[in-house]
Amino acid sequence: MSADKHVMALFENDVRAASAIEGMAGSPWKLERVHSPIPSDKILHALKTKKSKLGYFTLAGGIIGFFSGIGLSIYTATEWHLIISGKPVVALIPFLIVGFEFTILFAVFGNVLGLLFQTNLPEFKSLRAYDERCSGEHFGLLASCAEGEEKRLVAYFQEKGGEARLI
Amino acid sequence: MTYGQIEQTVLQTLRPAPFRYWATVVLMFLGLLTGAACWAYQIAVGIGAGGQNIPVAWGTYLINFVFWVGIAHSGTLISAILYLFRAGWRTPIARAAETMTVFAVCIAGLFPFIHLGRAWMVYYILPYPNERTLWPNFQSPLVFDMVAISTYLTVSSLFWYTGMLPDLATIRDRATGLRKKIYQIISLGWTGRYEQWRHYSRAYLFFAALATPLVVSVHSVVSWDFALGIMPGYHSTIFAPYFVAGAIHSGLAMVLTLIIPLRSIFHYEAFITKDILDNVAKTIILTGLIVGYAYIVEYFLAWYSNNIVEQESFRWRAVGHYSLEFWIMVICNTVVPLLFFFRKVRRSIPWLFTISVLINIGMWYERFVIIIGSAAHDFMPNAWGLYSPSLIEYGILLGSFCMFFFLFLLFVKHLPSVSITELKEGVHQGEGHVR
Repeated sequence: MSADKHVMALFENDVRAASAIEGMAGSPWKLERVHSPIPSDKILHALKTKKSKLGYFTLAGGIIGFFSGIGLSIYTATEWHLIISGKPVVALIPFLIVGFEFTILFAVFGNVLGLLFQTNLPEFKSLRAYDERCSGEHFGLLASCAEGEEKRLVAYFQEKGGEARLI
Repeated sequence: MTYGQIEQTVLQTLRPAPFRYWATVVLMFLGLLTGAACWAYQIAVGIGAGGQNIPVAWGTYLINFVFWVGIAHSGTLISAILYLFRAGWRTPIARAAETMTVFAVCIAGLFPFIHLGRAWMVYYILPYPNERTLWPNFQSPLVFDMVAISTYLTVSSLFWYTGMLPDLATIRDRATGLRKKIYQIISLGWTGRYEQWRHYSRAYLFFAALATPLVVSVHSVVSWDFALGIMPGYHSTIFAPYFVAGAIHSGLAMVLTLIIPLRSIFHYEAFITKDILDNVAKTIILTGLIVGYAYIVEYFLAWYSNNIVEQESFRWRAVGHYSLEFWIMVICNTVVPLLFFFRKVRRSIPWLFTISVLINIGMWYERFVIIIGSAAHDFMPNAWGLYSPSLIEYGILLGSFCMFFFLFLLFVKHLPSVSITELKEGVHQGEGHVR
């Protein structure tokens, strides 16, 4: 990071926070983080973020799970042949039930791992430059700027209706 | 209502508890110990301490297993299925229902161990390489069940915990000292960063989408424990939907049994409104009618099959030794819920609570009638026999209920019993917060 001064601005609603984010486009300041007590479409739109790729983790988990479930059932059945009235040893219909349960289980594992991986959780470093009101009623923006620019940045946030402070 | 008021109300519930709370916790713990002592006695003297014997080898342990798995089902209905349908009224009761699910599955999972007698032999069902290359038989519904229940416990626990992360961070930010440190660890350092929300919202949606088919599959699999056997009264193609509807019916009733006192003790009247209770009651009418329809169809199938064994089994259910249990089941599960057609009943707290308890009793007896009634009166008249639970079984039943309420009581005082974040989202969507 080239800048070395950080400003935290708090807004009482997401409309003002989104407006402040949009106004920063093309400015010399860098938006480091946005904290909010709830997910907000307005902020999402202002940040112009791409769709989460978490689904790929879930999908991969589901595929691995399905083949693990079916594979385990087939492998164990062929290791110990239990032939009853000529019924097939590899009985696909009951094995599909095991495959289905494993699909859901591994898809959920993929989902959780994807969430932890994509959000970098558990992560305690962010708590250092964090305002606890962001989990309550406020939407927080953490921005950085070059030395000497901080007053302008604070004034910008105040002009947008926020409460700003240097941290 | 503002975000601050929502937080204030929920955080108020986590304040140090009064004496009567701890007295109730101790009482429930004593009940739990009674159950544990009965189980220990059974392990010491053998499975014969229970009343199960040929022809009724599946007794209250299996009834309790099916009952608690059923209770677990409406938690996922409320938290996942209604979430996908965007039913906003689920929000204030979803957390309590999810918690109920997790605890109910944990308790249900204990019963196969208890029923096993020699509980330490449970590893036989685990698929692991051994010297005789003897593996579990994956064609058996009992093995399906083991896979399904462990999946359900894992998925519902992860869903519950993930859903709670933002709320745990809120508590952390309002706590001090050791409590703050504990909540800091269990909230995994959640700060509500936008990157976190972006992925979290997606993950929550996938959780709901995956839990929905799972909930249907789990009780279907439980029903196949019976339906894949050839026993008259068990061997039926309607068992899967019948069991799923019954599970949701009992689970919704248990939700009412839990949230009505919760609402009153913690002053949640502003969140858990009478409209929400009204909606739960309306859903109970639907599930009650489905269950009633299933009871009728079972009789129709017995008559239409022209199978005298099946016909005798169902005749005996209604007029035989267990007819009292049968009529308790029919009245509590299908007749009593019809009272919810009256708006006054749906909006009366004493009526709602009483009916919910009656449905729970009725649903326990439903499992009694299916499991015991069928096994006691199967193909051969010379093999017919009766069963009644022993004191040890009653002790374990008491222990399971006490354990459930004990865990729930601990939960409501240490974790947010209503989702703060989802309530804030609800207010936000109505722009009630914007100043």
